[in-house]
Amino acid sequence: MTDIIKTEKLTIGYNGKPLIKDINIAIKKGEIITIIGPNGAGKSTLLKNLARQLDPIEGCVYLEDFKLSEMSGSELSKKVAILFTDRIKGEMMNCYDVVATGRYPYTGYFGVLSSKDKEIIENTMKLVKVEGLREKDFKKISDGQRQRIMLARALCQEPEIVLLDEPTSFLDIRHKLEFLSILEKMKEDKKLTVIMSVHELDIAQKISDRILCLKGDTVDKFGTPEEVFTEEYIRELFDVAEDINKYAEEKNIKLF
Amino acid sequence: MGKKRTLRYIIAFAVLVLGICVFFVLNVCIGSVKISLKDVLAAVSGRTIDETINTIIWNIRLPRTVAVFILGGALALSGYLLQTFFHNPIAGPFVLGISSGAKMCVALAMVFLLSRSLKASSLTLIMAAFVGAMLCMGFVLLMTRRIDSMARLIVCGVMIGYICSAITELVVTFASDADIVNLHNWSRGSFSGMTWDNVKVMAVVIAVSFILVFLLSKPLDAYNLGESFAKGMGVNVKVLRVFIVLLSSLLSACIVAFAGPISFVGIAAPHLIKKLFNSSKPLLLIPASFLGGSLFCLFCDLLARNLFAPTELNISTVTAVFGAPIVIIILLNRKERGQS
Repeated sequence: MTDIIKTEKLTIGYNGKPLIKDINIAIKKGEIITIIGPNGAGKSTLLKNLARQLDPIEGCVYLEDFKLSEMSGSELSKKVAILFTDRIKGEMMNCYDVVATGRYPYTGYFGVLSSKDKEIIENTMKLVKVEGLREKDFKKISDGQRQRIMLARALCQEPEIVLLDEPTSFLDIRHKLEFLSILEKMKEDKKLTVIMSVHELDIAQKISDRILCLKGDTVDKFGTPEEVFTEEYIRELFDVAEDINKYAEEKNIKLF
Repeated sequence: MGKKRTLRYIIAFAVLVLGICVFFVLNVCIGSVKISLKDVLAAVSGRTIDETINTIIWNIRLPRTVAVFILGGALALSGYLLQTFFHNPIAGPFVLGISSGAKMCVALAMVFLLSRSLKASSLTLIMAAFVGAMLCMGFVLLMTRRIDSMARLIVCGVMIGYICSAITELVVTFASDADIVNLHNWSRGSFSGMTWDNVKVMAVVIAVSFILVFLLSKPLDAYNLGESFAKGMGVNVKVLRVFIVLLSSLLSACIVAFAGPISFVGIAAPHLIKKLFNSSKPLLLIPASFLGGSLFCLFCDLLARNLFAPTELNISTVTAVFGAPIVIIILLNRKERGQS
């Protein structure tokens, strides 16, 4: 299997101040990668760099064999879709309109949807099970519904990679499972590569092919669930001190 | 579902066009001298019945009405662009101080030229207004770096507007010339005294701007969602923002150069149009806002001219009466959503 995305000596951060240094990772097509780490470790920052929403301070991201920085916006948007935490600002949009924006890179000069575009939108909405929301005002649906609409939007872009920033954080357990099952299905059917940051360690453990652990200013570990999810390592990664750990044991709260 | 929507759009456009036709005719017919539709048709088709009526129609009413149509549309369009740019439904050239900045520069240019007994050409005035508009826009953009809250940005814009108006008043007060009466009227916003030469210049400038804005409808659609989404869909956001700033400033400048600052049309018209179409598609909203602004201004100018005839009201007096409540309604609705 070939690497679909890789980084070389990538240093990222804001305003020239490095947050994470020297990232060298390679991700294969069809993998599900989760990024974990304490708050403020740079999970979102890394995702933004992979999506070219932020420019690296040093180093380079490669998409297949192309330098990310040299690709045109439209090429990039046909390969990479994002589902970040930014709220959609558009007003007076129903759910269909929001999903339809995913076809943007493929439509003609004035952005009018072709019948093929419409077909893809329909199929995607069915896949994500949101056909019923078509006419609903996007601002008036629940968090779970909103997140699924946003997923449909991203999948409409027919990407090879989808980058998600804490996509399941505000979902109840049923919607979490539904959401993840769709990602897994896309992985099986279309060989979609999924890179996402999560806070729920149990999810990361069960769904990921590999897990990227960020801590301090480095990639602390990048490995399979078996390698990452040991009690000692997770405690170390999140700085769970002895007394806190004792409390967790008392209350029988599992770390993952 | 698609059909129902299309029907709505067609009806909405039909209503707008019909409304414009009706008010266009009313504007030509009604005034200090009432002219029957028959006489208007006669004059327009070139058959002279009464020389005076002919002159009134051709030299006063028609150029003015056409100017109201063009400038009203431009006002709404520049408002629409600014609202898109700031993701803020109450942004507009007047509240952000852009109109007043343009006004200040035009007044300075006029007085400067008058003092050397030169007559300012339309293009010179547009240039001066554009410089003023860009100055204020630049200032507003600098402030957006420090201010996150939209309401505070608007307050700052209004303050900039006051400063510019104060400077304008000062210049107008101390300038001494017969033309000052005109300058005074103009500085408060008025469509009076339009000539065909004015109309030609504004038609060209605004037609070009309109086409450019229309060509941007696809990236504007993406930008509507928010910047990160637009970037994710391959839009060059930086370039787009530059275009929006330049075009909205040019439109505002053109309006101010000819009619002075006109309040609230830029906010009210696009808002009503969005409600009418219940859509956010720039492809529809750009032409519809233009038509909506035209209709709104034709209506307001009719009132301004005739409500207290022979005294003519400032156009802003009328637009404010109808426009300001709309702004209040928008603000109230915002709050409701914030709480829920």
